[in-house]
Amino acid sequence: MKRSLAGSLLVLTALTAAGCGSGGTTQEASGGAKELEVLYKVEPTWPHLENMLKNAKKQYESAHPGVTIKLTAVQGNNEAYYTKLALLNRSPDSAPDVYLHDTFQVNADVAAGKLAPLDEYLATWPDWGTQYPDNVKQAARGIDGKIYGVPISTDTRGLWYHKDVFAKAGLPVPWEPKTWNDVLTAARTIKQKVPDAVPFSMYSTKIHGEAATMQGFEMLLYGTPGGTLYDDAQKKWVAGGKNFTDALTFINTVYREELGPKQADAHNAKLADKVNLEWFPAGKIGISLDGAWTAAAWKPTSTKPWPAWQEKVGWTAMPTQNGEAPGSVSMSGGWVMAMSSYTKLKKEAFDFIAVATNKENSLMYSVSTGDLAPRKDVAADPKYTADNPSVKFFTDLAEVTHYRPAYEAYPKVSAQVQEAMEAVTTGSRTPEEAAAAYAKALPAAVGGPDKVLAR
Amino acid sequence: MTVATALSPAVTGSPAGGPARRRRVLRWLLPMAPALVLLALFLAGPILWSVYIAFTNETLTGSASVHSQFVGFDNFTRMFADPNFVNSFLLTFVFVIGSAVIGQNTLGLIIALLQRGRGRVTRSVVNGVVIGAWVMPEIVAAACWFSFLAEDGTLNRVLGISQEWLYTAPMLAVILANVWRGTAFSMLVYSAALSEVPPDLVEAAAVDGASPARRLLHITLPLIRRSIMSNLMLITLQTLASFGLIYALTGGGPGTASQTTPLYMYEQAFRYFEIGYGSAIALVMLVIGALFSLIYLRLIKVEDA
Repeated sequence: MKRSLAGSLLVLTALTAAGCGSGGTTQEASGGAKELEVLYKVEPTWPHLENMLKNAKKQYESAHPGVTIKLTAVQGNNEAYYTKLALLNRSPDSAPDVYLHDTFQVNADVAAGKLAPLDEYLATWPDWGTQYPDNVKQAARGIDGKIYGVPISTDTRGLWYHKDVFAKAGLPVPWEPKTWNDVLTAARTIKQKVPDAVPFSMYSTKIHGEAATMQGFEMLLYGTPGGTLYDDAQKKWVAGGKNFTDALTFINTVYREELGPKQADAHNAKLADKVNLEWFPAGKIGISLDGAWTAAAWKPTSTKPWPAWQEKVGWTAMPTQNGEAPGSVSMSGGWVMAMSSYTKLKKEAFDFIAVATNKENSLMYSVSTGDLAPRKDVAADPKYTADNPSVKFFTDLAEVTHYRPAYEAYPKVSAQVQEAMEAVTTGSRTPEEAAAAYAKALPAAVGGPDKVLAR
Repeated sequence: MTVATALSPAVTGSPAGGPARRRRVLRWLLPMAPALVLLALFLAGPILWSVYIAFTNETLTGSASVHSQFVGFDNFTRMFADPNFVNSFLLTFVFVIGSAVIGQNTLGLIIALLQRGRGRVTRSVVNGVVIGAWVMPEIVAAACWFSFLAEDGTLNRVLGISQEWLYTAPMLAVILANVWRGTAFSMLVYSAALSEVPPDLVEAAAVDGASPARRLLHITLPLIRRSIMSNLMLITLQTLASFGLIYALTGGGPGTASQTTPLYMYEQAFRYFEIGYGSAIALVMLVIGALFSLIYLRLIKVEDA
């Protein structure tokens, strides 16, 4: 018995060792042929990037014989993708050569030396100079000033509303709220007049991760007078304060007055699918605070197209707290294609990034996702705006948009923001208590009380 | 392992020392060597590593992921000052007591007792159903319970009400789900233990006029007390580390209302990338598990004395 056990373990060891061996060196697989591993994310309702990368793989492989592209998909939402990528990046052996990266994670990886700067390659790529506006180029700029990724998408955020629900509630269409109160008043009217519709939806729980911080909290905070998470002049993180409490108070009002989704839905990882694929087509939602890409859920390229959306859905800017100039607010982020500092095939890796972000592929991606295009030639292409009347509006929001302070500590700060939001969502803390808890937790998150500005 | 090595000559009962003894050890050790090497490499290695990083500020991203520093007991002082950890700890306690010690243990014992002397058909049907829940993968069990307790789920349909059970009573929901899934183990342990209880002893007591309750209390239970203790120890340890079921059912929410320590640990280590802090929590969990086992082992000894 023992012997056979030991024997089978021996076989197992041999197998494991063999498995490790073949898995560890993807770059030199199959007899000297070069292989590039590309990591990206895919969801059943979001196949767009996969389609684009498959196209890029075909183009690249026919132009570069001898190099194979290995597409490795991570199934799941953004949060699952961040975790998987961070774990793969722990070891040079498992790190992918090229990967999709959220811009707010870039500086953390730059600090760890896990990303390769692209400047010397970008200098030889004509598109970089001609097609990318200067502010877009900054998307993945490290604190050292170098560029660490080529943007594949950028975005802005605003309010989407259902015109039929507004009509039923007796609210004006087109709707142009001027203050937070206008938004809340509209939601209250919907609650009263259209009881079977969710009046107002936003992301406000930890399960939605960065979407909660950015689409939810920062859209509020950056609309308060002087509201910010990070003081650029003093280079310190801002600990709470009135702006912070006010933003939390808005969220608190939404949930205490039951203007938001039910708690079960607010905590559902699939809230976005519920709002966009179920509630909007069924006329069961009034207002949704979400990104420019929302319309992609209804377009023909979606898994559940809703052709009527162009007549039924309206969009407008998120107002500032009391209508302070410039009157509206937006946040911008986006995703880049980045190169691992561990890859031995840097030239090949960059060439693949250049193919993946060429005009054809960028256009294909932007049209299907509804993300705003970073390239000028794509933005100017009639196909880009053809099927989506909301694109121009959201592109113009760039005038009032803000960027996240995406420094190394940002992901941890973001986590603390989510903690505070969730506490007021469930009602376990008052806005004041949640803001105080944030101020208390901040020094540990950003690496010391000297990096915190008390408010 | 070392204990086993030291004991083996005594076990084999070799009176002679010297080369004969060494050969004996070798004969025993040689076939075991691959297993021992594997254990050391894949079990002891990661454990030692996680003990080490529990004392560092190691993270999964950022500069601390490549240049982590030794921070002494910082992670531990932070943990005990963290209201979320304390909350998770209390919830874990409730979860273990509710679902393992009371739920699975009692229900398993009752089912095993009721099955005594029943027909073969009854036994196989009951066993099949109970064990069916047990062999089901954790995620599948969680999906079943989710659709049972969801707002438009079976329970609400049957009762004709609308109640978000997973949000109004998350701890109750995960405790029930875990009892449902884990009872089979206790049932099997007790079925085996009860079959060892001599029927004539029970019959004799019955003849003497002892009521069924007294027979259970004074004859059956004392006879299977060691199985009770072993069972308690095993299910406590299993439940203490239970993760998948709660994660899939409530994700620890709403808020932190069902965030037991394993979920809190996961969140810190893999959502917020604080793997050092997460390992420190794991270490504390290990100590708590060890304490529980010690208590149970001690109880078994006391009973024997």
